[in-house]
Amino acid sequence: MSNEFEISRNITIGQYVPTGSFIHRLDPRIKLLSFVVLVLAIALNTSYLGNAVGLVLSLFLFWASKIPISYGLSGVKPAIPFIIILALLQLLFQGQLFSGGTVYVDYGFILITSESIRLVIVSAVRFIEIIFLSSVLTLSTSTTEMTHSIQSLLSPLKKIHFPVHEISLITTISIRFVPTFAIEMEKMMKAQASRGADFGTGGWWRIIQRTKEMFPIIIPLFNIALSRAEDLILAMESRCYTPGGDRTSYSVYKAAGKDYLILVVGLLFAVLLLFYPFPF
Amino acid sequence: MEPIISVENVSFSYKINEKTKVSVLKNISFSILPGEYVAIIGHNGSGKSTLSKHLNGILTPDEGDVWVRGYNTREQTKKREIRRTVGTVFQHPDNQIVATIVEEDVAFGLENIGVPREEMKKRVDEALETVNMLPFRLRPPHHLSGGQKQRVAIAGVLAMKPDCIVFDEATSMLDSFGRKEVLQVMREMNNAGMTIVTVTHHMSEAAEADRIIVIEDGQIVMDGPPREIFQHKQELEELQLEVPAISQLAGLINGQLNDFSKDLIKEAEFIAEVEKFAKGVRKEVG
Repeated sequence: MSNEFEISRNITIGQYVPTGSFIHRLDPRIKLLSFVVLVLAIALNTSYLGNAVGLVLSLFLFWASKIPISYGLSGVKPAIPFIIILALLQLLFQGQLFSGGTVYVDYGFILITSESIRLVIVSAVRFIEIIFLSSVLTLSTSTTEMTHSIQSLLSPLKKIHFPVHEISLITTISIRFVPTFAIEMEKMMKAQASRGADFGTGGWWRIIQRTKEMFPIIIPLFNIALSRAEDLILAMESRCYTPGGDRTSYSVYKAAGKDYLILVVGLLFAVLLLFYPFPF
Repeated sequence: MEPIISVENVSFSYKINEKTKVSVLKNISFSILPGEYVAIIGHNGSGKSTLSKHLNGILTPDEGDVWVRGYNTREQTKKREIRRTVGTVFQHPDNQIVATIVEEDVAFGLENIGVPREEMKKRVDEALETVNMLPFRLRPPHHLSGGQKQRVAIAGVLAMKPDCIVFDEATSMLDSFGRKEVLQVMREMNNAGMTIVTVTHHMSEAAEADRIIVIEDGQIVMDGPPREIFQHKQELEELQLEVPAISQLAGLINGQLNDFSKDLIKEAEFIAEVEKFAKGVRKEVG
């Protein structure tokens, strides 16, 4: 229990594994774009073979980015209960909608067919593929690169007066303050615990009790957040920040030939997953 | 010489509710000349921080005017010019860093005022160099110490090339090591010609300045060079301010040994005086 209060150490957001691989050095915008395209393609593919291809591809990406597969697995671990619950629900209640193929069980409202089993397995694998892909993306791209590429990809929307820069600034500031608040929260929990407060002694199923335990932390945390925000506004204003003003940008990305090549490869994979008639 | 900032008969009060107002500044006037290093001191609640927020138009006076290089801080359209002239470094090192990487934070102000990219790169490098943070340029700010964060904040202001930087209790959250780092940077910048206004309640810090303004109950009660101000030990103590430990010590020794100067305010001076004295004693003995 020694690390009961060590929240800041367990934060995975913005966990960046700098291996300096080929994938790391890609233009982050291209990475993000290819990611979106691949996730869409995987989400729409319903064949066993297609998802096997997707799984192999996502494992290959781990290898290519020199990131240990254990990072990906640790991302899958917390999702396992959801995957199991989802699979059970689909197995028991979705049979009527996917009644094609061979019927295995037909008992009351429960109808299990080869098609519904396919749905169960494919969605579980799909889930894992998507977790793997997003792990590779976030582990090989720093949060700064990520917010910049979101800003850059959304920038055409400026034409319809969509506040692109403001949104990316908000994202950056929230990410910037996550560790600050984690440290703040640690301090507060230690202070409360040293005065006899209980944290996490009730079992995880006692949701109400555990929520109540958090109140003496959450409310002062909100307070601190607000006063910090006020300070931050003053500091930003002092540095001439005007919302909606014309600004220049410090970091500029230039996509090179290899970046476009990767985008094309990503698109080809997506087309393959979407339109190739996989035999099973 | 044309002053950078001139404060003319400024009064200011915070509104608590419709009826009650707390008067914080009462008819204050002074001006700050280019190249000066001014410390504003006063105990908690004396109005010193409120005063510093008037210097670049974060607050505007109820009565009177603040002029920055000829622009009145009331003029909304001149806000940008005013803030480019007078930058501020705030108290809390964590609450003024916007970006997730040091160099991006330094660039934030430059992006706001629309500096072209090439120029921006150059200025970020220079600013980080000045505060000795160049090796940390790609670090996330939460991995830095308080003093380092504060130096990043200074670099962010410095990169905008202001004529004057206001430090609003910028060292009060730092440990003594971090404070030393920041004070050294302030001294170096002043030597390079930057006008510096520092609001503080650390007397050793005020001793570094060339001029001290003492604020009490929203009014200026003393204004002069540190050596002169720290002579008024009695009056300062009545204002809940202490003269620096070095001055007190020098005063005590002076009481015993008349030759020992009591007019000392900095550590280095004190050490020099002790050495001089020790030599004298040795000569007498030998």
